[in-house]
Amino acid sequence: MATDFWASSHNKRWIVDRATLKQARAEDLQYVHSPDHIDLLNIYFANLIGMLGKKLSLRQRVIATATVFFRRFYVKNLYCETDPFIVIAACCYVAAKAEESPVHIKNVVSESRLMFSQEGYGVKNFPSDNSKLAEMEFYLVSDLECDLVVFHPYRTLLTLCGRESACALDTEAGEVGVGIDSGPRYWGTGEGRLELEEGPLQTAWFIINDTYRSEICLLYPPHMIAIAAIYLTLVLNDKTREAIQAQGAPVPPPRRSSRTTSGSAHRKSAPAQQQDFVGFMAGLRVSLPTVAMIAQEILSLYTLWGRYSDTPPESGLGGNGAGEHSGGDDVVTPAFLTQLLLRMREARLADLAHPASGQPVAVNKRLERTQAAG
Amino acid sequence: MVDDWSQVIPHDVMRIYRAKRDEAHRSVTSKYTILGFISSGTYGRVYKAQSKDEEGKLHAIKKFKPDKDGDIATYTGISQSAIREIALNREISHKNIVALKEVILEDKSIYMVFEYAEHDFLQVIHHYSQTLRSHIPHDLLKSLIYQLLNGLLYLHDSHILHRDLKPANILITATGIVKIGDLGLARLTYQPLQPLFAGDKVVVTIWYRSPELLMGSKHYHKAVDCWAVGCVMAELASLRPIFKGEEAKLDSKKNVPFQKDQLLKVIDVLGKPDERSWPGMRNTPEYHNVKRLEDSPNRLDAWCKQPVNFLSKLFIFDPDKRMNAREALLHGWFQEDPKPTYNVFQQQLSSPAQLPPQRRITQDEAPSMMPAQATHAQHLPAQFTQQQHLQGQTHGSVTSFASMSAGHGGHSRKKARIG
Repeated sequence: MATDFWASSHNKRWIVDRATLKQARAEDLQYVHSPDHIDLLNIYFANLIGMLGKKLSLRQRVIATATVFFRRFYVKNLYCETDPFIVIAACCYVAAKAEESPVHIKNVVSESRLMFSQEGYGVKNFPSDNSKLAEMEFYLVSDLECDLVVFHPYRTLLTLCGRESACALDTEAGEVGVGIDSGPRYWGTGEGRLELEEGPLQTAWFIINDTYRSEICLLYPPHMIAIAAIYLTLVLNDKTREAIQAQGAPVPPPRRSSRTTSGSAHRKSAPAQQQDFVGFMAGLRVSLPTVAMIAQEILSLYTLWGRYSDTPPESGLGGNGAGEHSGGDDVVTPAFLTQLLLRMREARLADLAHPASGQPVAVNKRLERTQAAG
Repeated sequence: MVDDWSQVIPHDVMRIYRAKRDEAHRSVTSKYTILGFISSGTYGRVYKAQSKDEEGKLHAIKKFKPDKDGDIATYTGISQSAIREIALNREISHKNIVALKEVILEDKSIYMVFEYAEHDFLQVIHHYSQTLRSHIPHDLLKSLIYQLLNGLLYLHDSHILHRDLKPANILITATGIVKIGDLGLARLTYQPLQPLFAGDKVVVTIWYRSPELLMGSKHYHKAVDCWAVGCVMAELASLRPIFKGEEAKLDSKKNVPFQKDQLLKVIDVLGKPDERSWPGMRNTPEYHNVKRLEDSPNRLDAWCKQPVNFLSKLFIFDPDKRMNAREALLHGWFQEDPKPTYNVFQQQLSSPAQLPPQRRITQDEAPSMMPAQATHAQHLPAQFTQQQHLQGQTHGSVTSFASMSAGHGGHSRKKARIG
């Protein structure tokens, strides 16, 4: 099971199609002015999970699992009817346990309170009571249908591109597991493996980290996401791109790179013969159109992400006029998005109290009074 | 106006969500009739239940203890053990592993609904030692071990260590299929983020604990389960635990002590491990303590007559050389007649008295499950036995369940779990 994605709950129950996602967000969409805002919320919440995870000293894989839990929860629930902040905390709490590196519930509560109450986020009402988080955990595990084992693209990345010896990133995935398992390795013979240097490998790793800011992890199997990340890396990294271009040229010109390539230019021991990147991609026997599609989605995520800023811009969009006329390409901040969420929730509550058709539903006495007051 | 609403919202944002969820929830009692109480442990209690749907299948429902704050149950977070058992069970599916049907989270408690298994290895051992006063027939023993190994191979291939194999945790259905149960200590070992010893200082019930664990190894692998299979097999063959040692308890600082008594019991049968056959023992924390122990000749053959070659391979001290589940299944012993059978009780079907009795159930003395049902449940067992009898016939076994002397409680078996 741990090695068999195809037999996993992840594959059987949690790869969803686009129509399902569209339906899941349909009601939330009624409460925002631009569909982009929902995607920006997706980025915002993934960032929060990452930051809370860092505060709790969770490893990258645990953070990734927490984010997948969060996405799965919102396949079934609405942003405008729930409190994503406590869901985030519960996801981190459960993911830590599911990945066998538990953290104490009171640490999760105190770190969440501390972080969310910061000015940039403006969440003032995070409960201080452990039992509130534990209760949320209960509902969360139930909504996740108790499927707590999640597969991630990192594993595929290291399988396809990891270096045999002393891969720096391998330690991230399994430093303590080395040699612990007596069984045969499951990634085959290592033949046909792509040898990426540390720089590009790290790039691919970071691209995978970034994919969790969208709903890609719900739409595609992890190995496809990994391959898309490798593909983007090969194209975006200066050295690998040059190699590919050289491959395409009739006679590979002996490059002595007169231009200094940025970043990962330190060439240690280059592989004896040039790697056949194109042949590697072609030899994978996966749907390349799907890989291209995922790559496209990752690129549009980056475009959208460009509009997200952790620091409020000069004009101070954060507080005033959230959603009034902001359909354009404005930069959005966490504070803006928190405000947006609160407004969505208020509007939802109002709608529940006064449905467009049919009998009004009394949600709350106070609401009725508000209504009476006009 | 908006300001007024925003005052409403903060206090219980999740109220609408909870109301929706609670409304959609189908309770345990609406889906299952509780027939009786089976057993309890540190984790909680196990009940026998029947599904209320048309099929009316039998189930074992494991109810995890709710955490109590005084008398009121509160949410305190799901235990690591429960998360493990739930997460692993949701992924696996094999005929020799107890199948999880569903998990119901209700009223601060977790209910795991498993397929029902009528017998277990411990019960079989009791039946032969107490009631029949004879050895377990060779063919039955072989089938039990074969199916146990078959389930274990699946777990190990899935990178799961069971870490608590013992007769009470290995079940057998009424149709004679072995089912490994209780994954509460089991762990996924594929690319672990934490070393195995970080989570659980003590694993495996003391009598079934392998020498590398007894000697304090922090890095161990599947071989710990294979040692336990050896212990279970020796126990089936001789009807008493082969290494019945006393567990040295953790001290107040939760340091793990040297398990001298248990190791003496092992050495008494197998002799002392030596460095030539197990070079790695030099690196175990308790190496110097073991060195001081007195040696004793190997007398395993006195314990287990026929498959001593097979058994001795499961009792190899060096975990890296110990026979693993796959090698065990390919061992010549299983190729010889009598061959293992699909229904482990195949040969016993003709003489029903040989079959172990049905699992005994009682009315729950602790009012933790549906007190309102108490009066209703009175006449249920009789009704149920009858039906079970009919079911038994369809499977070709004509079993009289006259003997109800079964089961648990003879020995006091110690759980390995701490904390």
